[in-house]
Amino acid sequence: MNSRRSARPLRQWLAGGRGLAATRVAVAAVLAWLIVLPLVGATDSTMFTMTLMFTSVAVAINWNLTGGFTGYVDFGHAVWFGLGAYVTAILMSLQANSLGIGWPPVPAIVVGAVVAGALAGLIGRATMRLRGPYFSIAMLGTFVAVREIVRTWGGLTGGGVGLTLPPYLNRQLFYYVELVLVVGLVALTWWLRRTRFGAALVAIREDELGAQMRGISTTRLKVAVFSFAGASTGLFGGLWAYQNTFVDPDIAFTEVRTIDAIMGTLLGGLGTVAGPVVGSVVLYWLREVLWANLLDYHLVAQGVLLIMVVLLMPRGIVGAFDRRGVSARRLWRFRRRQADDQPEKATAP
Amino acid sequence: MTALLEAARVVKRFGGLTAVDGVDIEVAPGEMVGLIGPNGSGKTTLFDCLSGIQSIDGGSVSFDGVDITRRRPHQVARLGMARTFQLIRIYRDLTVLENMELSTQWAGVGLRDLFRRADAATRRKGEDLLEFLMLGPMRDEPAGTLSGGQRRLLEIGMALMSDPRLVLLDEATAGVNPSLVEDIKDRLRAVNSGKGVAFLLVEHNVQFVADLCERVVVLDAGSKLAEGTPGQIMDDPAVIEAYFGAAGRARQTNVGDAGGNGTGAGP
Repeated sequence: MNSRRSARPLRQWLAGGRGLAATRVAVAAVLAWLIVLPLVGATDSTMFTMTLMFTSVAVAINWNLTGGFTGYVDFGHAVWFGLGAYVTAILMSLQANSLGIGWPPVPAIVVGAVVAGALAGLIGRATMRLRGPYFSIAMLGTFVAVREIVRTWGGLTGGGVGLTLPPYLNRQLFYYVELVLVVGLVALTWWLRRTRFGAALVAIREDELGAQMRGISTTRLKVAVFSFAGASTGLFGGLWAYQNTFVDPDIAFTEVRTIDAIMGTLLGGLGTVAGPVVGSVVLYWLREVLWANLLDYHLVAQGVLLIMVVLLMPRGIVGAFDRRGVSARRLWRFRRRQADDQPEKATAP
Repeated sequence: MTALLEAARVVKRFGGLTAVDGVDIEVAPGEMVGLIGPNGSGKTTLFDCLSGIQSIDGGSVSFDGVDITRRRPHQVARLGMARTFQLIRIYRDLTVLENMELSTQWAGVGLRDLFRRADAATRRKGEDLLEFLMLGPMRDEPAGTLSGGQRRLLEIGMALMSDPRLVLLDEATAGVNPSLVEDIKDRLRAVNSGKGVAFLLVEHNVQFVADLCERVVVLDAGSKLAEGTPGQIMDDPAVIEAYFGAAGRARQTNVGDAGGNGTGAGP
């Protein structure tokens, strides 16, 4: 309450009149800088770093769709990234493809995204019956199980050795493709938040049974958004596999990707449109700084940062100005309210 | 008179406990029916069975001639049955007006509507209803800042947003101060006579039920104990025994019964 009140003048300044104009100018300036960056002599390594940052921003945006807007905290989101990467790699790599002919990249990446989305739909239908921490743990289990299946199914996936993709190292192309996709994703969430669909997702987060009783088909909507997030993360997984020219189970399926998405979203502001973008970018560069200066302790520093965010600014950077954000402390509590009713029903009908 | 809501021989068991045991209940279009009974008599469970939140173990429920026995809550809601909850269910982080906008009718919402913004008509309807429920000044405040009574009003407003034909009200006056209870009563009566919305209300406030309803159903231990006008119910010895306990019986007959040492449920 207090933090919200103190933030009010700043929020008004940002939201109205000059503030809105200033925000728009700033966003336009950043976009313009991102567009010209490769043209003014950025090195391949800079562009690769930027592309990895775009990837982590995109995964955080997708995580926020289910974790932030819908209130289903997914601890295994990286599974869709790995699946997208692996399907792309299997289709493109000569050693795995039984026809002996690798697919061209674009259809391979698209198929990777579609497979990830379809599996997310199937698995989501089962796991999204669970609520709160149970869902989170079920997704963590899914993540580990899929990674081990990929590791074991050597005939298709190359097992622990991994797969090599035909190299194609046009960093500039990847940079622009991912930039366009990330900007598109931000626009999509911005628009989605304003539709009836987006409002229904928030209703599911706030009170799922209440939403059902008001006519919202919660299962269909939450599985749909989960499946979309899976497909979108799978798309970035495919793009990453092609750039990396190599996948193995441990680098394609790494829990760090999930943790980064969650941390970035919390830092930026859970349930806001700009939060995952701002948070992931800050986290990305912060890590570079920490890593360079405190090699042995950079993960400790990161953990301390996360604790401080939850304690001191639970609504995140953007959430301080956007009332629609959710406090990190409510990550699961809004589910517990529903659990409250169950014992009451069971013991005192 | 064809019933709007018709539940026949509804049974709901939780393990060894039969919470609702063969209850018949009917609500005609535009009727106001009260559902009373001591704590644990199965009122809220019956509501959960009627609205599809709990699956039932026996009997059938139909609404407007459609069998809804196996329907899910959102399907029941789309047919025109709305409800409120004993533990208030509002979206606390959203503004009061957003709560209303989110509670419009979802029946017939196609894929294209899903990706459109709430239209101006919905917004105006929400604003009008909030005015009607005396919540107009609060419309841009987060719903979590409302008082207990105002939350009840908001939840009633949310139920009315979908233009229901029947509203199940679960304890609309619990924790509400007496003058606001009168206001709620007026508003419900106005909606009932103005729009022909039927109400089925679970209440502990017997006076509230007596003032609003032409017909009252009494549940006790999962079964229907009595049914009739408020006057008939209040005079029914079985009801007095079950609902008011021995103390009530003593008051009624002016006989000091030795069994009344505080075991009966108070009114």
